[in-house]
Amino acid sequence: MLHTANYDFDAIVVGSGITGGWAAKELTEKGLKVLVLERGKDLQHSVDYLGEHAPDWKLPYQGKRPRELYREEYPVQSKSYAFSEATRHFFNNDKENPYVRDEDKPFDWIRANVVGGRSLLWGRQTYRWSEQDFQANAQDGHGIPWPIGYSDLAPWYSYVEKFIGVSGEALGLDELPDSEFLPPMGMHKIEETIKGRLKNKAPDLKMTMGRVAILTEDHNGRAACHYCGPCHRGCSTGSYFSSQSSTLPAARATGNLTLRPNSVVEKLIFDPATKKISEVRVIDSQSGERHAFRARIVFCCASTVGSTQLLLQSASEHFPHGLGNRSGALGHYLMDHALGMAALGFFLDDMDSYYFGNRPNGTYIPRFRNLAGKPASDDFLRGYGFQANVIRMDWRTGFNQKGFGAGLKDSLRKPGPWVWALSAFAECLPDSRNRLYLHPTKKDRFGIPQVAFDAAWRDNEHRLWGDAVSQADRIMKAAGAVFSIKQESIEAPMGAGIHEMGTARMGNDPQQAVLNAYNQVHDVPNLFVTDGACMTSSSCVNPSLTYMALTARACDYAVKQMQAGLV
Amino acid sequence: MNRREFLECAAVMVGGLSLHQVGFSLSQEQRVYLATAPSYIARKPAYLNVAQKKTLAMLTETIMPRTDTPGAIDAGVPRFVELMVFEWLTDEERSLFVGGLNALMSETEATHQKPYEQLAEKQRVAILEDLEKAAGDSAWYDIGSAAMRDFISDAPFVCQLKELTIWGFFTSEVGSKQVLRYEAMPMKFDGHRSLDEDDSSWATPFI
Repeated sequence: MLHTANYDFDAIVVGSGITGGWAAKELTEKGLKVLVLERGKDLQHSVDYLGEHAPDWKLPYQGKRPRELYREEYPVQSKSYAFSEATRHFFNNDKENPYVRDEDKPFDWIRANVVGGRSLLWGRQTYRWSEQDFQANAQDGHGIPWPIGYSDLAPWYSYVEKFIGVSGEALGLDELPDSEFLPPMGMHKIEETIKGRLKNKAPDLKMTMGRVAILTEDHNGRAACHYCGPCHRGCSTGSYFSSQSSTLPAARATGNLTLRPNSVVEKLIFDPATKKISEVRVIDSQSGERHAFRARIVFCCASTVGSTQLLLQSASEHFPHGLGNRSGALGHYLMDHALGMAALGFFLDDMDSYYFGNRPNGTYIPRFRNLAGKPASDDFLRGYGFQANVIRMDWRTGFNQKGFGAGLKDSLRKPGPWVWALSAFAECLPDSRNRLYLHPTKKDRFGIPQVAFDAAWRDNEHRLWGDAVSQADRIMKAAGAVFSIKQESIEAPMGAGIHEMGTARMGNDPQQAVLNAYNQVHDVPNLFVTDGACMTSSSCVNPSLTYMALTARACDYAVKQMQAGLV
Repeated sequence: MNRREFLECAAVMVGGLSLHQVGFSLSQEQRVYLATAPSYIARKPAYLNVAQKKTLAMLTETIMPRTDTPGAIDAGVPRFVELMVFEWLTDEERSLFVGGLNALMSETEATHQKPYEQLAEKQRVAILEDLEKAAGDSAWYDIGSAAMRDFISDAPFVCQLKELTIWGFFTSEVGSKQVLRYEAMPMKFDGHRSLDEDDSSWATPFI
């Protein structure tokens, strides 16, 4: 039985994560009646942040991970840095909602399953792309040229940043354009020591405070960070940006928002007569009931994998290879950042300096390889940045030492040396071979085909990593590490960077791209895809800010098109 | 706490070992706001018999003794270890632990004609040191591995005991607040605090 209800929405947004929240805010603020469909559970801001501010002694097992449960039900999700008993209720249950994971060629798909999506769990690092990033494909011939450049997006970066609140330091670099900044967070003394040494011994590098969507002063009705530490448990004061703290409340305030959790979108129905999406078919994950909703425009903001999966399963007679897939690019050119610790160094400096407060942020060394106008490497294309974190060793890192009694207790209670870890974030080339597809036989509990992946790091990513490790080694020496360790090869599989991008790329040529310069599906004018699926290349900086800017820009365009009667 | 807790541990009567895994992790039905929930060790475990409880309590206290700051018993570590052994360890790990505990008890009795908890501190430490000497080549001691792992399943009893004791101690309320330093709501970040030679680490929040 198909219930047809509420066909009088102006817009339907699929997903309530970082881009779905933005689409909801922008479209409702422009006066549209908007239905947001979220496949995950409902979640109330603050009320459902079950792990927030819980001290270790109240956590199950005082923080030790329930291994059997994680192995059985969260084998992929539990790899996330943000996964614990204090955050598990935000994550997808791998057993309930599986995908096909090839153990020999794995792709880690980290997914949230709640209203707010991964905007609750993201790392909050916020960087603009540079003009060089947008030109990269056109210049080296990998992938297809972007249909937009930095100047197209710059005003939208500003627009988004002013709302979300980004703390950081302006540097005036072409390779890392400045945002609209709130004051940067402070550095540890050891970080200032390292920065000073790098200035002398590695003057080609810049080291700056991490740019984060965390407030260093009160902003838009949200409070400055209170430095409790683990942001991803949820933040009642809204001090870090999430859909829950910011965009969904803004959308709700317009009175134009209807949000429907537990709504698994099964299919988009394309009407060949109008060349538009006429219906969005939904399965209620709780009741199993099927519904159909109609609206003038549809925004896919279901995450890279989720949106492309939806387009693929919306194949029809008119689009036999997936909705809007005239180009054959749908599902292909999957990217992620090759991301992980490249080097870790121990420091005996500033041992008498300590800290107060848990700063949820590190420092950043922007890309310094293959920069525009400077000599290019023969060995690899594009580049990488380093995100650096400092910790003071303590009992957690040294409990497995010998001895018993008062001496052991005294040694474990005191801080050890400083450790500075350099994590490389390397750009990934768009490659047709890296793809996701619908498994021909495996279905999920709703009867929807499971997603499968065929993707791996390729030659250029390995070469970039090799260079990143040798540069990290140089940086450690220049920084004054007494001892350092290197990670010679990329440890994590694709997907583990949680920066999955591509598979429904933007481009001017409908024969090569799924989306046009405004994230509009080339052959389906009332359908937009504004999450990571739209990305034509991957840069080396964290992508969320760019998704948000692209979403706000696409919403502006879509509403103008509607007003002009074109959609 | 302290003495009373110790006696309380000893007072619990148990009729043998239960090998049931009693999951404590949150299911969707058991949602609670963790910060207002009782401590993990608020429940009284009833898995070990009185003799085992007494010996375990003294073992944890020998590893993390009361000095000018509270020790393992003050911090409720015996409870933590007992709960973890029966609710968190796998069957194999548990039998290794319980086997190790029982062996230590019978060997101590045979050698000293006294239970472990009645020995002088020096003797108690010596017993653990002997066990540690025998365990010396276990991967448990590998430098740099402590932060990266969940547990080493085949680590000898003494390593399991140490890990659970130390973890239970420094993540307990008493350990966090009275041995380490704890500040739930710092309200600011300052990267230039001076550290005196005798200052403790912060009890940094877990993931």
